[in-house]
Amino acid sequence: MTDAQRRWLPIPVFAAILILWEAGVRHSGHVTLYPYPTGVTQAAIRTIRDGSLLAATLGSLHRVLLGFGIGALLGIPLGLLMALVPALNRAMSPIVDSLRSIAPIAWIPMALLWLGIRGNAALFIVAYAAFFPFVLNTIEAARQIDRKLIDAAAALGAGPALILRGVILPGSLPIVLTGARISLAFAWGSIIAAELAMGIKVSSGGSAAVGLGQLMVSTLYIRRDVNGLVLYMIVIGLISWAIDALMRRLQRALTPWR
Amino acid sequence: MAIDMPAKIEGRGLCKTYVSARTGEKIQALNNVSFVIGVNEFVSIVGPSGCGKSTLLSLVAGFAAPTSGEVLVDGVTVTAPDPQRGVMFQDYALFPWRTVLGNVEFGPMARGVGVAERRAIARRHIEMVGLAGFENRFPHELSGGMRQRCALARLLANEPEVWLMDEPLAAVDLQTRNILQDELLRLWGDDADPASRRAVMFVTHGIDEAVYLSDRVIVMGRRPGQVKEVVRIDLPRPRRSLRSSVGAGRFVEHIWGLIRDEAARAIVEEAR
Amino acid sequence: MSEATRAAPSSPSSGWPGLSLLRRCEFVLALAAVGVLWHVASAVAHNKTLVPPPLAVLRAWMGLWREDLPTDILASLTHLGIGYGFGVAAGLLLALLAARFAIFEAIIEPFIEMLRPISAIAWIPIAILMFGIGRAVPVFLIFYAASFPVFINTLAGIKGVDPRLVQAAEMLGASRRMIVTHVVMPAAVPLILAGARLSLGVAWMAMVAAELTGADSGLGWRIFWYQEFFAMDKVLAVILTIGLLGYGFDTLLRKLQRGVTRWQPDPAGPDR
Repeated sequence: MTDAQRRWLPIPVFAAILILWEAGVRHSGHVTLYPYPTGVTQAAIRTIRDGSLLAATLGSLHRVLLGFGIGALLGIPLGLLMALVPALNRAMSPIVDSLRSIAPIAWIPMALLWLGIRGNAALFIVAYAAFFPFVLNTIEAARQIDRKLIDAAAALGAGPALILRGVILPGSLPIVLTGARISLAFAWGSIIAAELAMGIKVSSGGSAAVGLGQLMVSTLYIRRDVNGLVLYMIVIGLISWAIDALMRRLQRALTPWR
Repeated sequence: MAIDMPAKIEGRGLCKTYVSARTGEKIQALNNVSFVIGVNEFVSIVGPSGCGKSTLLSLVAGFAAPTSGEVLVDGVTVTAPDPQRGVMFQDYALFPWRTVLGNVEFGPMARGVGVAERRAIARRHIEMVGLAGFENRFPHELSGGMRQRCALARLLANEPEVWLMDEPLAAVDLQTRNILQDELLRLWGDDADPASRRAVMFVTHGIDEAVYLSDRVIVMGRRPGQVKEVVRIDLPRPRRSLRSSVGAGRFVEHIWGLIRDEAARAIVEEAR
Repeated sequence: MSEATRAAPSSPSSGWPGLSLLRRCEFVLALAAVGVLWHVASAVAHNKTLVPPPLAVLRAWMGLWREDLPTDILASLTHLGIGYGFGVAAGLLLALLAARFAIFEAIIEPFIEMLRPISAIAWIPIAILMFGIGRAVPVFLIFYAASFPVFINTLAGIKGVDPRLVQAAEMLGASRRMIVTHVVMPAAVPLILAGARLSLGVAWMAMVAAELTGADSGLGWRIFWYQEFFAMDKVLAVILTIGLLGYGFDTLLRKLQRGVTRWQPDPAGPDR
């Protein structure tokens, strides 16, 4: 199989699957029970027209970016500190690892209690999720800087400021950016989870700022629209993919030497 | 050049072209290369980067097929790798999850030899290369020189009639290299009866190494890869006392004169 | 998991025997410091519900062992066991098929690429619709989440085997089948295990999310159960249990990873 064949093969396969899927559901007669391609498209047109999809997506994205920012602002300095002070690292790392292994959305009850349902609880979850990749990656980034590069710079006459600016910062950038990418992906996953949990478990969750998660819950319980659910799944996936593609491009642009 | 013994390996009009994955252009790695290696001969292949010497070795080993021409061993065309043509790779290619013993006994195991017997064979060869006591170490615990010895033992455990070596000493430091060269010569039979020696094809960058070890040196040129000259090294054996003799120096200078210009060009042209 | 946080710029190990004792004390001291801060925070907040004091949480935790905790743990582990087990199996099987049959890989690759960005969590509503609130939701979600990392890593591991090792095996006389069992599989094991560990991580997250929203049993579900009664000390106790269990499992897998890949040069082993 040639490379060209490989690249174009998905298209006919995908088309075939869509056609079979559509035909299968229509044939079974249960058009309201199962999702099907044209139904999903109709749901898409509807939610785009009435603006609900856009509003929900923006709502979720807004909190993701805020949480991501908080995670970075808290995570990078802590990571740097832990990298530069070995004693702190040894003391804190089991605590950090243990906290890290608690899935962010497990904190929803506490977050709800502390911050209420007006979306800040979700923000807390997102910031919590975004925080750890930054810490871990900053530590790793500082650790792996080749000592020889620092020595080479010093031998060339560089002072500490230049070494920081010219060696340590660029040297740690690739891994910190990877941490940012992981963090953002994780944050996106967490906001959906948090919104879902709030929507399902909190009886008045629907009155909070509506994100994709809450939209899915109301579609599940109120509208009972299967096609809508599939649509939102696809949207979530698309945004995940877009975030990752964007971050990778950013990474390549900022660190062209990799 | 005629040789005074039966031919073991014969290359006839070997051509190898391949398409560069990066640029898409056709690269002629080898152009009409012919050579002969005798049954008890140690022959080195030297040349600047990009002259196709490693490609030539992989054709002889059977890892790749020539675009045209053929390689004959004992008169039979080579089509696939075979235990009778043992190979030593530049980066040893030791199985990292197997101990020294596990690596050396791999060949006999592949041939279906029973556990007890292949262990014995392996131990014998491990001792032969001077690694006794390290049977249960993993490759990553060994130094470069020891890994090379392990790779050699693994090759010898199959008792092949042809030894193919692709820059095997490139990755060790100079002092270790000199010691290993002497060990290689000893194992080959440098100070023994010539009839006990095997055919060796030794690819290397080091001209002095080639002159020191070999009976003949095939000097190759690049772009396209071809044979420039075959130099007969008629220094006496055993070679151990001759490392920096005047005789050896003359050969080295002659060969270096053949490839110096191309080597200088290769520095720039072989950039990735 | 604690690999990345462990190795900060090295301080010279003075060999002083008391040093390791001091190191262990550091962790205990840090833990104690956290405990003290927590206690102070709860005293300041003066609200047992809002900030449950550490001792209350500890007491609640010990009490839970006599109540629902064992049942919950069992339920969660059952969800995890079935979902993770089948997920890993599915990932392995699909990867083996994709490695063996290029057509299969060409067909399945785009689907994996499309499904991968859709996290298990996005499937929760549809899963609830399909299976209703109950055990099936977490099992399905865990299965889905766990299959991707294993598939991707196994395929990468098989494809990423150093071709030199395959050549070495061919040269030593190994049959096709032997190359698969004795070279490709062992070489792929590190990545496969890394995939299994990644899978466990995402499976654990999926378990908590799924139990929180779509189940009627398990630790995740119990969190909200206690929240209904505003028994925040119990809520925290369950949360900490989840954290401890997750950490424990990852440590187990990490030890397995270390033990099986003893031959790897990198002592920290593939971590991420």
